[in-house]
Amino acid sequence: MAQLIADPREVARGHHELAFAWDGAAPLPGQFISIKVNEGSDPLIRRPFSVYDFREGVLRIVVKSVGRGTRELSRYAKGDALDVLGPLGRGFSVREGGSVLLVGGGVGNAPLYFLARALVAKGTAVTCVYGSRDAGQVYLSHEFLEVCDRLVITTDDGSAGQQGTVADLLPGVLDGGAFDMICTCGPALMMKAVTEIAVSRKVPVEVSLENYFGCGVGLCYGCTVDTVNGNRRACVDGPVMDGSVIRWDSLD
Amino acid sequence: MNTSVSIGSLTLRNPVTVASGTAGYGEELSGYCDIARLGAIFTKGLSIEPRPGNRGPRILETPSGMLNSIGLENVGIGKFLSQKMPFLREKGATVIPNVAGHSVDENVELCRVLSETPGVAALELNVSCPNVKEGGMAFGRSVPTFTALVTAVRKVATVPLIVKLSPNVTDVTEFARAAKDCGADAVSAVNTFLGMKIDIRKGKPHFLNKVAGLSGPAIRPIALRIVYEMCARVDIPVIAIGGIGSIEDVLEFLMAGACAVSIGTMTLVDPRAPISCVERLEDYMHTTGVSDVREIIGRAQTA
Repeated sequence: MAQLIADPREVARGHHELAFAWDGAAPLPGQFISIKVNEGSDPLIRRPFSVYDFREGVLRIVVKSVGRGTRELSRYAKGDALDVLGPLGRGFSVREGGSVLLVGGGVGNAPLYFLARALVAKGTAVTCVYGSRDAGQVYLSHEFLEVCDRLVITTDDGSAGQQGTVADLLPGVLDGGAFDMICTCGPALMMKAVTEIAVSRKVPVEVSLENYFGCGVGLCYGCTVDTVNGNRRACVDGPVMDGSVIRWDSLD
Repeated sequence: MNTSVSIGSLTLRNPVTVASGTAGYGEELSGYCDIARLGAIFTKGLSIEPRPGNRGPRILETPSGMLNSIGLENVGIGKFLSQKMPFLREKGATVIPNVAGHSVDENVELCRVLSETPGVAALELNVSCPNVKEGGMAFGRSVPTFTALVTAVRKVATVPLIVKLSPNVTDVTEFARAAKDCGADAVSAVNTFLGMKIDIRKGKPHFLNKVAGLSGPAIRPIALRIVYEMCARVDIPVIAIGGIGSIEDVLEFLMAGACAVSIGTMTLVDPRAPISCVERLEDYMHTTGVSDVREIIGRAQTA
């Protein structure tokens, strides 16, 4: 059991940061944890969350309230114990040196902060395109700003940063610099668009899938994705995968 | 203290097993427990050729349960024998492959090959998968079709034969009796209940296959009633399945008359649940002075 070290903190509209003491295995950027939100049988299945940050024994996640399970989590309090399984899955490649472009959308920005920290620690230059629906849903951008060499915020309605989707902005960002790799996390349609742009420019791209998970540990085959190499389970073969091998139409 | 139970000529070290389709081929589960300590592991439903399974959404949470439409994705018999069995043997697991061919001939061939495979403790014939167009539940809803399949498979199966029953019939017990008459050694009861979800925004079924299989605690009382009636009426070992996840659930089904239980959906919720049930059953027997697990089995039948 993992004990919350603070009350859940609303970091943007409908988004809460949960910070808890973690003495399990150290997570890697892009890995996730899986939480049973209560002791009962309803909601039944665990909820997966990417790791926003882990340092000095404290693990942080960002929970977007989308349903009963996530709302229940935001009502926990300091000192409460969480039933956490993890760290799970395969994370991002943490490149040493060179320049990496991170592209996030909504709650999918969360794992990119942890990745940015790891990249910077290895001497890699980090540019981050942080996409959000509107200004009210931009969370923890000051922390991204501290770590990234360059942060580009974009919102669908232009209420913060530049107006447009990350896919709209991406060609311009790529024109403005040379990148060795792109790492992205967000809605499937966004990652599909990012992958198409990356492939067309011959930049390697890693995506972190946000499928509906049953077990999160590879048992149920509920999160299978179709790839050029056959079926892969997003939870154990991912959530981070080479974007260019995914048959994106199967995720529609 | 004796925790072992018998299924035909097979002895399980304890009555806590993991259900087919929720335990893969044991590899992932072995990261959470010593799979040799489980009563048995029922591996994922097998076909001769690999199957990709269903497209579209495959899992959906429901109140105290979940719907699945996986569609028997599996590696096929070749890869199972060359890559999965060696691992399971090395770990010392009691392996019961689930056989899920499209046709009588495919099931016969699978059972013939698996019977000759070292380390296969028994076979579970799947006549109850609701998520495939051919085979699966089609075998398990008509007694004549069911009887023809079980009879054909029985002829080639040289290890204990377990038949996994569909609950999507008027009287599941009738199928347990038919299984016994065809020479099956045991039945697994029950597979998932047919369910459905409609996406009201799109105005169409959530799953591409329209219907899906409901499992988890939501079905537990129905499964318990079916197992209880079956054990009262047919003299065949029953492996109970249906939302079992805690020691209390295990005891309920054993007292109803099941000789063993399978933990399925609750393994997905907590992969440590099966081993926890094994340990807690030992604790229960110790604290209540039960020296043989068979003293618990069927206790509620005579009360």
